[in-house]
Amino acid sequence: MTEATPGAVALMARQAMRDARVRTAAFAYLFLVYGYVQVRGYRGTYPTRADRLSFAAGFGDNAGLRLLYGRPYDLLSVGGYVAWRVGGVLAVAAAAYGVLAAVRSLRAEEESGRAELVLALPVTRRDRDLAAGLAVCAGLVLLWLAEFGGLYAADAGGAGDAALLALAGSLTATVFAGWGAVTSQLAATRRGATGLGLLGVAAAFLLRVLADTVTGMGWLGWVTPLGWAERVRPFAGARPAVLVLPLVATGALVLLAGRLAAGRDVGTSVLPARDTAPPRRELLGSPTAFALRTQWGAITAWLLSVAAIAFVLGIVSDSISSADVPADVRRQLAKFGAGSILTPLGYLGFVFVFVVVALSAYACSQAAAARREEEGQLETVLAQPVTRTRWLAGRLTIAILALAAVALTAGLAAWSGARAAGVHVALPRLVEAGANALPAAVLFLGVATLAVALVPRAGAAIAYGLLTATFIWQLVGTLLGPPRWLLDLTPFAHVAPVPAKPFDAVAAGVLVVVGVVSGALGITAFRRRDLRGG
Amino acid sequence: MAAIYARGLTKRYGAGLALDGLDLTVEAGEAYGYLGPNGAGKTTTIRVLLGLHRASAGEVRLFDVDAWREPARAHRRVAYVAGEPSLWPSLTAGDTLTYLGRLHGGVDEGYRAELVARFELDLRKKVRALSKGNRQKVQLIAALATRADLLLLDEPTSGLDPLMEVAFRDCVLEAKQRGQTVFLSSHILSEVEQLCDRVGILRQGRLVDEGTLSDLRHLVAQTVDVTFDGPPPELRLPDGVRAERVGTTGVRYEVTGPIRPLLVALADQPVRTLLSREPSLEEIFLHHYGGRGGD
Repeated sequence: MTEATPGAVALMARQAMRDARVRTAAFAYLFLVYGYVQVRGYRGTYPTRADRLSFAAGFGDNAGLRLLYGRPYDLLSVGGYVAWRVGGVLAVAAAAYGVLAAVRSLRAEEESGRAELVLALPVTRRDRDLAAGLAVCAGLVLLWLAEFGGLYAADAGGAGDAALLALAGSLTATVFAGWGAVTSQLAATRRGATGLGLLGVAAAFLLRVLADTVTGMGWLGWVTPLGWAERVRPFAGARPAVLVLPLVATGALVLLAGRLAAGRDVGTSVLPARDTAPPRRELLGSPTAFALRTQWGAITAWLLSVAAIAFVLGIVSDSISSADVPADVRRQLAKFGAGSILTPLGYLGFVFVFVVVALSAYACSQAAAARREEEGQLETVLAQPVTRTRWLAGRLTIAILALAAVALTAGLAAWSGARAAGVHVALPRLVEAGANALPAAVLFLGVATLAVALVPRAGAAIAYGLLTATFIWQLVGTLLGPPRWLLDLTPFAHVAPVPAKPFDAVAAGVLVVVGVVSGALGITAFRRRDLRGG
Repeated sequence: MAAIYARGLTKRYGAGLALDGLDLTVEAGEAYGYLGPNGAGKTTTIRVLLGLHRASAGEVRLFDVDAWREPARAHRRVAYVAGEPSLWPSLTAGDTLTYLGRLHGGVDEGYRAELVARFELDLRKKVRALSKGNRQKVQLIAALATRADLLLLDEPTSGLDPLMEVAFRDCVLEAKQRGQTVFLSSHILSEVEQLCDRVGILRQGRLVDEGTLSDLRHLVAQTVDVTFDGPPPELRLPDGVRAERVGTTGVRYEVTGPIRPLLVALADQPVRTLLSREPSLEEIFLHHYGGRGGD
């Protein structure tokens, strides 16, 4: 060890933090704003004890909400409500962050060959892994500060409980960072390791949902890190001792990753990577066909996960009977802008807003994928007799078809789920709900294309940023009560909560037109600029 | 009709000037060597020729077609080998060739199979598992198999082993014999000397010299190494001749222009050996890059 370059660990850790700074900043922003907004929203909407009692009476046992947010322990205090609404959602986000951060600093470095470059210097593998761990921990400290800061600034209750709530989230992230370290040893590619890692997050979420919604399965909550975060119970009889579980799990996963790493060569993986394959000639005829070929796996994964989620949402859509809910709670809920969520159709209208957001995010990801191709292989493609218009229009067509397929799947699956639970909703209404997600997605596809055409390097980040900013504005704006035109700035203000309300054809038409015009401008701008590689 | 035609070609990136009023003509059927150190603008030239980057000023044509306006029409007659191969990591070498072949159209599949055998490429391997040289082979085979009228080659042999370099030279010579135009950007001078009829030397975005190899040689000093029977005599050097002592009895003369005055001066001296050498392309190249030839 004395031979190693002094300070090398610190240097490498700093470089890894620099690499992750954009993602860390985006997550920190989300953690800060989300906590703050929920506190202010609850206090504003349910100011008196009576309001809170009636809210708790109506929603405490609603399986549809439990599925999204987890089990509430105390809905009468600001802190208890926030622990429920903020804790569950941010624990999932933190889990995803942990996987992404670990895979980025471990497997991505190995796959690209940068790890080899560094390890050829007077630096041991241990030093490098330590530096990666330090960088991930630094990111998690920042997330903790952001979540705590948001809650504290909005005065959620005791600072100690707020700190504990934020800690429960951050320690969930450390568990999944440990899991990401393990999947980085298993898979040969960043994509594979991330996929495997996120599969773990999905499994943990599924266990949490079963524990919180199915009678008699509550014990499952002790098996999943997302359940542990819930059972810390900040603001509602806090049990900090539960945090031992994520600490022990993290230690075990890190040890396992270390054992796996010690037994293999740099650049290889535990699961064998296939370096040869028999020829596959299909979908190689044109850039558009090829885009479909490369996206096929991702589209299938989207279809399956959206189908599963929508099916479950359909099942739980009847879990509130409107008889239980006092009239004033219904009025309060109307302030959230989703109409009544007390009927199955109302609930589905409310949750389909998240389908709209998910599809819009998928649209942004398609523009980002086009940009990644430009950084990589596009020069090779465009040196062939292929025009830029043909390439980009083909990619956008694939994106729109995939969006339509996902949207219709969401409607169909929600209908099947509702039918399975014995709820009678008309199939056309739910297909309409799915289709209703398309105009906003087309808008974001067009805008993201334009952004990538005009500002190649930052375009994808700008598109995702717009999506996040407008959605948060939609959530917050209604609570703050600004002038109408300010609220109308976000596209989500113009998406009707179908099937709770009728499809708004005029608004949808406007969104589509803006999207198509932006996309056409994007194609034109892309044709007029230099190709910019990586 | 010229295969490549550029007049007053200028390319700016922000404040930086990559190409500075470049004039370049390559006739159909010609093999043209494009020389220059790193950063001289070789790759930029090719990208602008292909219409991947837009010229800031000036005129560019490939077979009379502006590739910026009509890329598909221009590229149908062109095959391009990039200096840095950017291929799809998860595609096998064979599927990559299929895809690029279908995109280009008009690939001679028999010839492609022959090329795969000559370059000893394993088609089942995924690109991510290939070494740099093998990835370069994928690009070369894809380009050569099109039998395009113009081969735009940007440092095509980087990463190839010497045996494969020979295979590459044979293929390019065959392409020349078939009448294909070759534009070879390189700084491997022996390669350019063997393959190219005409050479252009690029410096800071403009051609500083151009011509056949024998044209270029006239402009650069040739070297005459002389040894004498004893210590070298004090000669009155004619114009255009520089002398440098080598050892105790030798002198190296660098001659620019006609060699006769030096021979006349040496005629009645006690010359033991005399060796005259034409400048190599390397010396021509270094001549144009003066003080910074060492690297």
